[in-house]
Amino acid sequence: MSAATDLPGLTATALQVVAVVAGAPFVVGGMRQVRARLEGRAGGGVGQPWRDLRKQLRKQQITPAGTTVVFGFAPAVVAGTTLLIAAILPLIALGSPLDSAADLFGVVGLLFLGTVALTLAGLDTGTAFGGMGSSREITIAALVEPTILLAVFALSVPGHSANLAAIVSATADHPGQLVSPGSLLAFVALAIVIIAETGRLPVDNPSTHLELTMIHEAMILEYAGPKLALVEWASGMRLTVLLGLVANLFLPWGVAGAHPSVLAVLIGLVAISAKVAVLAGVLATGEVFIAKLRYFRIPELLAGSFLLALLAVTASYFFATPT
Amino acid sequence: MSFLLVLPILAPLTAAALAAVLGWRPLTASVTVVAALCVLVTGVILGFTNGSGVRFAIANLFRTDALSITMLIVIGTVGTLATWASVGYIDAELTHGHTDAKGANLYGVLVPVFLAAMASAVLANNIGVMWVAIEATTVATAFLVGHRRTRAALEATWKYVVICSVGIALAFLGTVLLYFASLHAGATSGDALNIDVLLAHASRLDPAVTSLAAGLLLLGYGAKAGLVPFHTWLADAHSQAPAPVSALMSGVLLSVAFYALLRVKSVVDLAVGTGFLRTGLIIVGLLTLLIAASLLVVQTDFKRMLAYSSMENMGLVAVAAAAGTKLAIAALLLHVLAHGIAKTLVFLGSGQLQAAHGSTRISDVTGVLARSRMVGVTFLVGLAVLLGLPPFAMFASELSISRALADAHLGWVLGAALLLVVVAFAALVRNGSRMLLGPPTPGSPAIAVPRSVAAALVAGVVLSLLLGLTVGPMLELFQTAATMLGGTR
Amino acid sequence: MTQATYNGVLNLAAGAFLLAAVLIVWRRELRSIVVLLAWQGLALAAIPVTEGIYHDDAALIIVGVVVLVLRAVILPLLLVRAVGTEPHERRESTPLVNTTTSLLITAALTVLAYAVTRPIIALDPSPATRAVPAAFAVILIAVFVMVSRRRALSQAVGFMMLDNGIAATAFLITAGVPLIVELGASLDVTFAVLVLGLLTGYMRATFGGTDLDQLRELRG
Repeated sequence: MSAATDLPGLTATALQVVAVVAGAPFVVGGMRQVRARLEGRAGGGVGQPWRDLRKQLRKQQITPAGTTVVFGFAPAVVAGTTLLIAAILPLIALGSPLDSAADLFGVVGLLFLGTVALTLAGLDTGTAFGGMGSSREITIAALVEPTILLAVFALSVPGHSANLAAIVSATADHPGQLVSPGSLLAFVALAIVIIAETGRLPVDNPSTHLELTMIHEAMILEYAGPKLALVEWASGMRLTVLLGLVANLFLPWGVAGAHPSVLAVLIGLVAISAKVAVLAGVLATGEVFIAKLRYFRIPELLAGSFLLALLAVTASYFFATPT
Repeated sequence: MSFLLVLPILAPLTAAALAAVLGWRPLTASVTVVAALCVLVTGVILGFTNGSGVRFAIANLFRTDALSITMLIVIGTVGTLATWASVGYIDAELTHGHTDAKGANLYGVLVPVFLAAMASAVLANNIGVMWVAIEATTVATAFLVGHRRTRAALEATWKYVVICSVGIALAFLGTVLLYFASLHAGATSGDALNIDVLLAHASRLDPAVTSLAAGLLLLGYGAKAGLVPFHTWLADAHSQAPAPVSALMSGVLLSVAFYALLRVKSVVDLAVGTGFLRTGLIIVGLLTLLIAASLLVVQTDFKRMLAYSSMENMGLVAVAAAAGTKLAIAALLLHVLAHGIAKTLVFLGSGQLQAAHGSTRISDVTGVLARSRMVGVTFLVGLAVLLGLPPFAMFASELSISRALADAHLGWVLGAALLLVVVAFAALVRNGSRMLLGPPTPGSPAIAVPRSVAAALVAGVVLSLLLGLTVGPMLELFQTAATMLGGTR
Repeated sequence: MTQATYNGVLNLAAGAFLLAAVLIVWRRELRSIVVLLAWQGLALAAIPVTEGIYHDDAALIIVGVVVLVLRAVILPLLLVRAVGTEPHERRESTPLVNTTTSLLITAALTVLAYAVTRPIIALDPSPATRAVPAAFAVILIAVFVMVSRRRALSQAVGFMMLDNGIAATAFLITAGVPLIVELGASLDVTFAVLVLGLLTGYMRATFGGTDLDQLRELRG
């Protein structure tokens, strides 16, 4: 079936994108609310990020003097790549018109493109904090990208395909694989790199106001108004999308099939929303109990997760039961 | 006859038990000497009665053949000399307060255990048991090296235990891999590690796995023999240990470790061909010679100098084993025996020098020949043997090794080895003459020699002379051993 | 025990074994690495016990229990007692190779182990032998730990890990070595660790600490 007539697939993909766009601020808000409650505060409510976005969108656009188009276009690039990832990943349904591009390497490349765009924007401002944030961010990215590749590759070995939809359906068909050493190690490695990639504790504190401890926030210090809204939204979408990826890789039940019915699509939507909400809650709860790592300890953590991912790959290859 | 096979192990163990119960006293020390003599006598008797056969005992766990009998004689000779000297040495240490009763008791127990472990290693038919015995020697000698409890002695003990344990662990891995290969070549699980079974199945052993095992065994047992790259413990341990223990370690333990390598070599050569271990032994032997010769040139401590001389000789022995011809192996065995006796002489003498001067620096010691005829002459004789001067045995053995290397078309190895041996020769001559010849500096302390040490020294000189003049009945033993190890050329 | 369960348990044990080694490289608290060593001993003991249950070999199960008691309980206890009570005694001082580089080197050593053990797997492609690369990797990692640590106790832990790795290799490829060799090897390891523990005590008394960098008197 060609893309044009694959209506259920198209619907599912469109629904994925809309859900991510609409749901990302709620995910961020939910995490903040969980943290607030656990810390004994009232919190701003789950809808606070939406209110912040609305406020920022109505403000005047200010661009610092001396910046170039890089600064101007970076938020669009980040948001665009994240939306593309949201369309590619098998979040609600497995079959998507972009299925041929739903390759592991493609997704990681798009993630990295977004990171690089923001890093360059941080450099473009010419300020000290921007440069510092960019250099820290790219150090982390250098260790994180190979690890994501290796970890998901380890999961792809039993299914013999690097296509993400194929991996998810293979796991759904053989749930016993989830307790193999390869999968367990891959899970731990992925958890660490997702935390690093999205700038959560213990790698980066998203609610810090101390510039010297910032990584992600330092890069976007000079953004204001609508561009800031776009950048914050894109960060929230990246978090949502990556949490969705982890959820479907390790808990693939509820995902609609290749040619889903309307009911299956709705079930898929509810399932992914529930899974992402639970994962976000768990992440937020963990953050309450962890302190931020000092910056020079982060490469240790990431090298360790790289090693775990490598071990996951070797475990998947060499411990495979001879069939 | 089986009793005779286990006597070399039981006798020292009995002496150790007696020393554990009664502590250090003349009775227990003498019993230890008698036990070492038992080892020697057993070796001699077996040498006369065994001929070229192989004999087994206790469910094929132990074996005697020409090679193990040779090693028994080496252990027995050096053991007797060293334990005889220990009697006076430890008494002198107790008198001068260098050690206490507890230290002496520990010494009295550990030395015969050490001898028993070495005897077990050379009598074992199962290479797993051989491994256990060699590991036991490390554990037994650990606190012998640290006998004096000084900072330097502790440092030496730590390095010795750690490096040798790592090496011996690698040797165990090699043994396990060899067991694996042997099982897959058709041996039954109970005796797959027996040397006779391994030799019988050698042609069917998987070459890749056996090569991996051989490499590990070379590294592992090479560590105990003081070969590169795990050689860094040797100078420290042999220089910090008390003199009779240094004599035992330098004179015998290194050779016993090399014996293990020879046993493994006989199996591996049949399984993967002679090229693999030959290359390995050449590389390791030449590197050991290089490092030993270089460090001999810059030495300022006479006990470390003697330790590096042992390392140099082990390198030469490794190169001879690489040649692998009948002449090479026979010469190697003669070299090991002569070196053992000579090292005992020089280490015992240096022990007395250390006791007199309180230090082991070469520059502190002058005019020994003038000051003490006993120590001076015996040290001179020992050095002469080590330098390979005629009429002593090491002249004949080094000449034979050179000839064997030439026969085996290893001319370039011969050239390199000779060059390095000459460098070592020069360094030893320079340091030895500085210490022995010439007038002593005024105010040098008197060199006291306890009676038993003097007796051991004299016996050692006599044996060296005898061995130099005639190899005698040992020749047949050496040749049988050489033929057995696969050298038919 | 079915074939699938046997494979699964063996893989899990070998994986836990390797993971413990990796964590020992990662962590710096001396007490934690001794505890990790105990867990590694547990994973090691699981291998002969599983093989014994699968092959109905009671001797192997007994050997497994002995290994468990020795390497997961007694020897780590001996080492824990050698950890000092001073706060500065409880952490590894700055290692010779920083943690990030150590972890990357560990990754390289794991890959090397897989390459080196290919002839072994080729000779006997059974499920147990296919887990040998993990044991070999632990051996290489242990040698690296011994070389790159400064505290006496860390070297002792590295030595025990080396021995664990070799024992695992023996159990995986040959269901253990003959009993007398196994007994002798265990005795030797016990004595070696006792010696190391005693030496650590003497070192603390003589040098005032167990930092191996202080052992610098013997040179040349």
